[in-house]
Amino acid sequence: MMKKIVVNHLARVEGDGGIYVEIDGDKIKKLEVRIFEGPRLIEALAIGKLPEEVISFTPRICAICTVSHKNASIRAIERALKTNEDEKTYYARELMHMGEMIESHSLHIFALALPDYLGYPNVIAMVDKYADVITKALNLKKYSNKIMQILNGKFIHGENATAGGFGKFPERSELLEIKKEAEESLTFMCAATDIVGGLELPDHLEEDTVFVCCNPADKKYGFWGEELIFSDGTVLPSTKYKETLIERVVPHSFAKRSLYKGKPFSVGALARLNCIGDRLKGEAAKYFKKYKNERWLKNPLYNNLAQAIEIIYCLERIPKLVDILLKLPDPKFEKATRKKGRGVGTVEAPRGLLVHDYSFENGYVTDANIITPTAYNLDDIEKYMANSALSLNKAGKNEGEIAFELEKIARAYDPCISCATHLVKVVKK
Amino acid sequence: MKKKPTLGIYGFTGCAGCQLAVLDCEDILVDLFNYVDIKVFYEAMSNNEDVANVDIALVEGSINTNKQLNELKEIREKAGVLVAFGSCANFGGIQAMALGDGKWEQRFTRVYGDAKFTVAIPREAQPIHKFVKVDAFIPGCPPSTPQMLRALTQLLHGNQPTYTNSPVCLECKFRENECLLNDGKLCLGPLTMGGCTAPCPSHNTPCIGCWGIIDEANHTSELKLLKEKGFKTEDIIQRFRIFGGSKIVEKVQKLLEVE
Repeated sequence: MMKKIVVNHLARVEGDGGIYVEIDGDKIKKLEVRIFEGPRLIEALAIGKLPEEVISFTPRICAICTVSHKNASIRAIERALKTNEDEKTYYARELMHMGEMIESHSLHIFALALPDYLGYPNVIAMVDKYADVITKALNLKKYSNKIMQILNGKFIHGENATAGGFGKFPERSELLEIKKEAEESLTFMCAATDIVGGLELPDHLEEDTVFVCCNPADKKYGFWGEELIFSDGTVLPSTKYKETLIERVVPHSFAKRSLYKGKPFSVGALARLNCIGDRLKGEAAKYFKKYKNERWLKNPLYNNLAQAIEIIYCLERIPKLVDILLKLPDPKFEKATRKKGRGVGTVEAPRGLLVHDYSFENGYVTDANIITPTAYNLDDIEKYMANSALSLNKAGKNEGEIAFELEKIARAYDPCISCATHLVKVVKK
Repeated sequence: MKKKPTLGIYGFTGCAGCQLAVLDCEDILVDLFNYVDIKVFYEAMSNNEDVANVDIALVEGSINTNKQLNELKEIREKAGVLVAFGSCANFGGIQAMALGDGKWEQRFTRVYGDAKFTVAIPREAQPIHKFVKVDAFIPGCPPSTPQMLRALTQLLHGNQPTYTNSPVCLECKFRENECLLNDGKLCLGPLTMGGCTAPCPSHNTPCIGCWGIIDEANHTSELKLLKEKGFKTEDIIQRFRIFGGSKIVEKVQKLLEVE
């Protein structure tokens, strides 16, 4: 018997997407994650622009990942135009990135994903029973917004960080406040990680995949690097992203797709922990060891737990960053030393690997390429949904029950559809 | 008990930052959900009605597929008050920075090749007032929390939202910042709608005009000033257009024709 599952509008994800599945007995006839969000053609609009303009408008690709887009565009442009990166600037950028990581992860875990597992339509409906957790989670989100506001000038789409440095570095009192709150939030986050870690995750969708993330220098954990590291052991310079992660267009989505060695792969918090989690220290390392098991390599639903552990990492890293920043003098603004060249900036956005790639002639952009983590993940999302739909159908579940489980998979990846519809240049034939 | 007012929050093409700005009101989020009956808010909840009959519809984003256009029309039919929420809904946002230059197809091919889509028919991004009647607007990229909450409160009491009818430049002066134009920086503060409290110039970075152009500003004088500072006309126009969308294009082109 033919079964049709249609989710017209994915809820509790960022942007406009849906799911369409046709199951015929023990075969999936069609499974599409449909991306309706209209194409914005950001790369084409970047042509002819000045560096500071690109750094202002490309973060508008996505509000939740605005700081990641900012850091990726800055890194690409500073490499293209050979701009020196001062030490204090480097660490202030890292602190700003932490703000976004905590904000995005806490929003996702507590407001978007947890209601699924605890059986609520939204986070507010959970307040009666989980008042303490929700209040503290909202406080954590508010705190991380404050980090971005202090470092970047606004919660969403600040302008303080740009190529060459910061318009203004944070005050000593602001930095101390950031440090204090990080220390205070750690206890809550460890307890919350145990809540997420205690959830029973279904295994009916499991299948091996390859994970990839940035490889931070000096065998450290972190959110950027000049290399990519794969869970199959491969390490490559990040400038080789285009030849390694091959893109294509599919008719049911305004977001492009990518394959690694002809197969889908995953990026994001779970990918980072699977590739470089053994580099963690402190409480983050303890929680990583406590919960890591071999199912992490084949079940994307563990992404929420990985996000929780990453928040612990950030809360432990922030006091150290503040101490470094307090010791360093405010640097002069660094200037670009050339007007021509190409630069690739790879960072880890909350949802995974994000690439910005620009070429300049005479100070203006001549070529631009942006690839976002959700676009990288879409093929794997479809793979896991197909697994799930098949086994649930076999187990006799109805359309509504299957649809709910498929939405859960989508939400585990925390897809950011605004981001995904800005993909790259012409398809090669 | 009096019936709660109903609210729908819809998102079209953009960064979803205006919806996120609602979720960023951490302190009053629980109160907000208690005070109004939110029928649609895909970013935050499941069990949404597709397009609901609501007292107030907040519409974020610009329109750039046929599917979105049909949905927008349905939202209009079912909404008491329809509000353009944020820069993209109001004047197109960054995806409309080249609106009307006749090269949209060329850009589309550059990004997608000759791919054909089954998911929807794409079109150049346009602000929502190009297609339906808009009753009120909330400016911002994204709207600032205090301004958004004030506007929502006003709407819930049946009033028109009030907005800041003075440029960013004035708010920057109130914060006693040194003028960035004196520093030779291309700052759009004198032309841009205020209400943001000038966070960017307060961090020594120029205003980029993300809240859109303000009607009352002295556009001619700013253009003249920027030219005196040595900026090239095409660079000035380009900067205006990035965040200014359709509205600024009409305005600035008219000014240049006068010259």
